[in-house]
Amino acid sequence: MRKSNAVLLLSVMLGSVLSACSTGQGNPGGGAAAEGGVTTIEFWAAPNPTQQAYWQQMAKAYEADNPGVKINVSVIKESPSSEASIQAALAGKSAPTMSENINRGFAAQLAGSKALVPLDTLPGFAEIVGSRNMSQTIESWSFADGHQYVLPIYSNAMLFGWRIDLLKELGYDRPPQTYSEVLELTGKLKAANKDRYLWAKADLADPTAWKRWFDFFMLYNAASGGNNFIEGNRFVGDDKAGVETLTFLDNLRKAGGLLTQNATDPFETGTSVFADLGPWTFTYWKEKFPEMKYGETFALSMPPVPDGQDPAASKTFADTKGIVIYASATEEQKKAAMDFLKWVYANPENDLKWFEQTMLPPARDDLTTNESFQAILKANPELAPYAENVPNAVPPVDNAKYNELQTLIGQEALNKVVRGEISPQDGWANMKKAIEAALK
Amino acid sequence: MERPNNRLGWLFTSPYLIYSVVFFVVPLVWSLYLSITDWDLIAPEYHFVGLGNFLDALRSPGVRSAFWVTYKFMLVFIPIVTVMALTVAVLVSGLPRCKSLFLIGFFLPYLSSGVVSSLIVKGLLSYNSPVNTLLRGFGISIDWLGTPMAALFVVGVILAWKFTGYYALILTAGLGSIDKEIYEAAAIDGVTDRQRFWKITLPLLYPSLYTTLILAFGVTFGIFTEVYQLTGGGPNFATNTWQMEIFNQAFKNLQAGYASAVALLASLATFASIYVVRKLLEWWGKRYGWS
Amino acid sequence: MVGAKRHRQLRLAVRYAFALVLLLLLVYPYLYMVLNSLADWSQIDRKLIPTSYTLKSYEWLFSGGETGVSRPWTTAFVNSVIVSVASTALMMLFGVMVAYALAKLKFRGRDFTNNFVLFHMFFPAIILLIPTFLTVQRIGMYDTYLGMIVPKALSLWAIFMYTNFFKAIPDAFIEAAKLDGASDWTIMYKIMLPMSKSITTVVFLFLLMERWTELLWDMIVVQSDELLTLNVLLSQMFGPYATYPGPLYAASVLLTLPIIVLFVIFGKKFQEGMQFNLK
Repeated sequence: MRKSNAVLLLSVMLGSVLSACSTGQGNPGGGAAAEGGVTTIEFWAAPNPTQQAYWQQMAKAYEADNPGVKINVSVIKESPSSEASIQAALAGKSAPTMSENINRGFAAQLAGSKALVPLDTLPGFAEIVGSRNMSQTIESWSFADGHQYVLPIYSNAMLFGWRIDLLKELGYDRPPQTYSEVLELTGKLKAANKDRYLWAKADLADPTAWKRWFDFFMLYNAASGGNNFIEGNRFVGDDKAGVETLTFLDNLRKAGGLLTQNATDPFETGTSVFADLGPWTFTYWKEKFPEMKYGETFALSMPPVPDGQDPAASKTFADTKGIVIYASATEEQKKAAMDFLKWVYANPENDLKWFEQTMLPPARDDLTTNESFQAILKANPELAPYAENVPNAVPPVDNAKYNELQTLIGQEALNKVVRGEISPQDGWANMKKAIEAALK
Repeated sequence: MERPNNRLGWLFTSPYLIYSVVFFVVPLVWSLYLSITDWDLIAPEYHFVGLGNFLDALRSPGVRSAFWVTYKFMLVFIPIVTVMALTVAVLVSGLPRCKSLFLIGFFLPYLSSGVVSSLIVKGLLSYNSPVNTLLRGFGISIDWLGTPMAALFVVGVILAWKFTGYYALILTAGLGSIDKEIYEAAAIDGVTDRQRFWKITLPLLYPSLYTTLILAFGVTFGIFTEVYQLTGGGPNFATNTWQMEIFNQAFKNLQAGYASAVALLASLATFASIYVVRKLLEWWGKRYGWS
Repeated sequence: MVGAKRHRQLRLAVRYAFALVLLLLLVYPYLYMVLNSLADWSQIDRKLIPTSYTLKSYEWLFSGGETGVSRPWTTAFVNSVIVSVASTALMMLFGVMVAYALAKLKFRGRDFTNNFVLFHMFFPAIILLIPTFLTVQRIGMYDTYLGMIVPKALSLWAIFMYTNFFKAIPDAFIEAAKLDGASDWTIMYKIMLPMSKSITTVVFLFLLMERWTELLWDMIVVQSDELLTLNVLLSQMFGPYATYPGPLYAASVLLTLPIIVLFVIFGKKFQEGMQFNLK
């Protein structure tokens, strides 16, 4: 009896392995090729309601002008993670024609697996770069092989917000700009009210990779003058700048200026006076905290720099993502996709609509100079510093292992320093060792 | 006695067999295959790494913490939930009226999704919440989710909250099946309440306790949602469970091969531990006279 | 004696009070959720019991949240119902069938199947997620109702519960029926099922609740808007850029309420079923 059971099990397993190895049947999500003259393309929008709504509008408008093309806009699944959804779609041969929400690191992984179309090889790309005035912005997006794989849609030059009203109470009429100035402020802050903190951010103690973009990289880029962290497969981080950044955080911790406990809206409620802010915060404030007024309640600044460096030359992190076109699409679909993008970006009105609806600054060099955007910048003066600093923002690392590598920054260095478990020098050294081991 | 009827047997079990082949065996074999490669499912080429993934896993802080954290959760969750469930069961059993109402009420926490309860707890424990503001008034300031012990405690308590009512139902049934005559005889013999509980009730409650404890131990191996929502495995791997580790490796780092190896290690640890737990519980049962 | 009776009454009152307090403590998070979903946005997560209320959170959800573009709520609700009921019905049907075979029928491979079910139950399902997804795609069920229903059409727990329950039914009943010439199908429908009313209520409610609150699978296997379930739609209302706690609580209420209502209605039967079965 046992033997036949074993044979049964074995044959079942064999059968399943064989069936699993066979090529997939059809690609329901990849979109049918031209049928009766209509090319259908699948556009996967970011898991952000405002972005999804925008692309649905654009798709409808384009279809009205181009009856030969149908664009299905749907949302990237963010569980288990948006990258995993795309990865699963690719593995199952049901990848879309194009999708947004791709950061440079993930694009590196996809490009390395030959899953992406080098955009500069498709006709129309150069036109987009020209008509959208993004030749400067797109430079930092090129990959090691010289190709462009991503068309960046937006670029948030991350800034820090200060509660200028609370700062005034302490005798400051403009935000501090160097590390010592910030520490001095922290001292005065704690003396006046020990339940107030400089920076209340639970993420500081969280090793999740993308969170480093909004704490470590903002400060490191400022301290290192925009020096790259990882290039290709080599760690090229500026040791001095890195240790200075960690020491700054360590000193803040010692002064009691950091709160790593989860707190709801600490900046808005005055529990903290310093916070990393993206332009999306302002829509949120309009609904929930209408009392936050630019210039009165809060001010914006580039990240503080180590003593001895020029604050005016500060750099920051560019939270930027873009659109890719997948290699698994048909030639007609690729052409149609590029044409769609050309159409969208030929008209600065569309970028304006994007800016208004999503509050994410379009990745253009002429945000502050182009007249089309004057109105929105005038109506929302808090967006001006974001627009101005797009050239001063450094995009994320473009290594396929970016998730693992950035997790190591938190695990080995940042999280531990912020909890007082390790010295900045040791933290940096450990992190460097771990990252170099992972890069091999 | 019936003679074996194979055809009928296989026919009736065919739904399960077909289902398990398609949705369990096939993915399982796939996952085993992945565990000896370094494939991320999209790269055009990949390599066989033999036991490489397993060795890396055994050396990684993520897997090591996952192994120990499960047992740490057992230390927090099992005692709390058992005591609470027993308390509720004993309490409600002694109520002459409205028993059902109370039992249903206590069962309600089981119905909440992990996402919802984590959200609520996050709100209740945030820095500015009334709970913490009150505690700070007494000079107590605890970083609930940022201190290893506190984080373990918080997640353990949430799970205990969720399962208390469910286990209380099991225990109430068990209490109900104890013969009343035994209590009467004990009363005549002048047994105190405390003696009655420890020497009579508890031993007679063994079967229900067995079921409850096996279920509870099973829960500790599957902890995911609450940890994912509240701590992400932190601080510093203090709450990193097997499921969390597999999730991170598979869906964040996109290392399908390595994650499959971790999953295999997880199932080995789970099976071994459950076996030990069962043997321990059976030994305990023997002491009470259950064999 | 009056003194003794009073003493007993007092102890009973204390018992009830204690039970009530414990119950309220355990149920408090739900109250917190409901209250905060109706609270003024400035008071959420700040007070134990809010003092001013508004319907803003619910309005925000139904009017499209941040975008102002309405989403398919009724379709999503209907989808959730279809998927949950269909899955649960199948899980019950197959559960009974397979359990009958494992408990009462003799056939070669029965022990093996029993052990296999146990192995299946304890295996960390999370790692099978992507391979299962890929398998489902290859079969052609991606982005269909079948894709949501079929992979969840079987519950190992249901098989386990029914098997144990059927084992406890004395063979005498079955043998008597066989003598009367009944086939195994008839036995299953006319004897086993009616005798398992109590556990059926329990299993049905448990399975329905689990299927209703499922998020991960329904999210992965569906791409089009028309097939979204309520749970998935709710998760889509919130982007990565802002947390709106009020609407989050409102969404939680919308999700949890149907289940609670169901349990309150069937509560008594459910509780009796549990008690009967566990004896």
